[in-house]
Amino acid sequence: MITQHVAGRRRPPGRWRAALTGWAFVFPAVALFAVMGVYTIGSGLALSFAKWNGFTPNWIWVGFDNYLDLLYADPSLAPPLRKAAWNTGQVMVLVPLLTVAISLPLAVVLNSVKRLRAVLRSVYFLPYVTSGIAVYYAWRYILEPDGAINLLLRSLGLGTLAQPQGFLGNPSTALPTLIVVLVWSSVPIATLLYLTGLQTIDPALFEAARIDGAAPRQLLRRITWPLLTPLTAGIVLLGIRDSLHGFQIFLIMTDGGPGGHTDVLGLQSYRLAFFKGLAATLGVSSALGWLLFAGALLLTLANARLLRRVR
Amino acid sequence: MRAGRIAGYAVLTAYAVISVYPFLWMVSGAVKTREEVLEGGHLIPRLPTWETLVTTWNQLHFVEYFRNSLVVTGLTVLGVLVVYSLASYAFAVLDFPGRRALFWFFVSLLFVPGITMLLPVVILEKNLGILGSHLGLVLPFVNGTAPLTVLLLTGAYRSIPKELREAARADGAREARIFWSVYLPLARPAHITIAVLTAVPTWNEYVLTRVSINDPSLYTLPLGLQSLISSQVPRYNEVMAASLIIVLPVIALFLFLQRYFVNGLLGAIKG
Repeated sequence: MITQHVAGRRRPPGRWRAALTGWAFVFPAVALFAVMGVYTIGSGLALSFAKWNGFTPNWIWVGFDNYLDLLYADPSLAPPLRKAAWNTGQVMVLVPLLTVAISLPLAVVLNSVKRLRAVLRSVYFLPYVTSGIAVYYAWRYILEPDGAINLLLRSLGLGTLAQPQGFLGNPSTALPTLIVVLVWSSVPIATLLYLTGLQTIDPALFEAARIDGAAPRQLLRRITWPLLTPLTAGIVLLGIRDSLHGFQIFLIMTDGGPGGHTDVLGLQSYRLAFFKGLAATLGVSSALGWLLFAGALLLTLANARLLRRVR
Repeated sequence: MRAGRIAGYAVLTAYAVISVYPFLWMVSGAVKTREEVLEGGHLIPRLPTWETLVTTWNQLHFVEYFRNSLVVTGLTVLGVLVVYSLASYAFAVLDFPGRRALFWFFVSLLFVPGITMLLPVVILEKNLGILGSHLGLVLPFVNGTAPLTVLLLTGAYRSIPKELREAARADGAREARIFWSVYLPLARPAHITIAVLTAVPTWNEYVLTRVSINDPSLYTLPLGLQSLISSQVPRYNEVMAASLIIVLPVIALFLFLQRYFVNGLLGAIKG
């Protein structure tokens, strides 16, 4: 393809020239980050040590007060925060766990069949492609008191499981329901990752093990699972991150209700930032954001260590 | 063995039904009349009608919102591909001071929660005078995809044999040309994967869009959908019609690109 063969123009580029080329390639990314990232991270961090309502000209510096208020000092902030943290924690543990528990077997079975594989793969991916506000409303629609899920349960003779107030209206079923919807929307990517991972495993490995008399279950435990561990780590990591960071689904489907039973940390920070009128809650919101950051970092490091030990 | 296969297909079919279930009701709700959607009732509508879809499309300026969504998503995908393919190329094959540090810095941004950045971004954009414009959405969206995009694209470029680059260099090609004529075409599946992974969340983005866009003529589809719900009991046939309008283009895009998408993911895992 490249036909410019001008021997005379070839000169060994100096070190500085290579450096310049490299920097030129990363320049747009760095420039964008300098505009959108440096200032926002800096001012966000600074704001977490101040009180401000977004309108007054000056910030009032309060040191670590925002953080202490969130953790225990302010009786109007700390208790709901603890509740939201508990909810977030459940989501963070259960969503990645259930996602792996569903998507890995699904991928293994899908990989073992020939017919319909491509069609099923597309069908399984539908929840990811449609995930977002539109499909969350579809879920709300079928979770209504007279909605499709209750109807289905009654027609299957499982009427006792139906929720007359709707699944999102009942405080004890709202959070588990949202967890199910979250798992439903994160299974597609995980399944596809596992499926592609399975295709990278050398079939000769299975063949050799089978000749040695290994049962299918042993193949799964001794070959498939260990070889897919890095993928599992990635899926769990992204799941933890999404659970800690994401709150769009909570905002749209329940807005934390009923009675704070589906409140999560991201949602609290969002409300403190944008829906408190003239109250000086922007600093606290920022502080909460940074607590989330610290949490995500710690969990990731712990997760990485744990998985390394398992391997 | 045969029983095992039947059980396998049973599992696969069951999960296929679970995957499409809410979507089936979305379609069913969208073609029901207002009376029928209130009854709850059956998946298959008794009197299917296009009317809801048509009126929802017309009354709610969906052409306008659709175009806005297309602009925001299109510019974001374009920006992501241009900015981070260049950077990832540098991280993958070029040698310059600060390469490793910069790479890990971008990847570590993965742990900065969106909500932590949301408020400062709004304050910054207010100061810059771009709050409430489409540019004010595109810039943070592009910046927000940096960690995963850099990670995936750098992996994809690294998996391209170095010999190709050496050969091109021996032929006197410059870096920009090698990037353009060797790496970009060879890594096309990875680019398509990134395009899909960027387009889907951008098309559906609701949080930053809601707190920054005030002018209804700049609304994207999710804001249009939200404005349908307003105060009273949602009219679910209209809501489902609007949802269907939002979801169909992304499904079409995915079906169109899925072959590349899967290959790109495969390349990213191997790399």
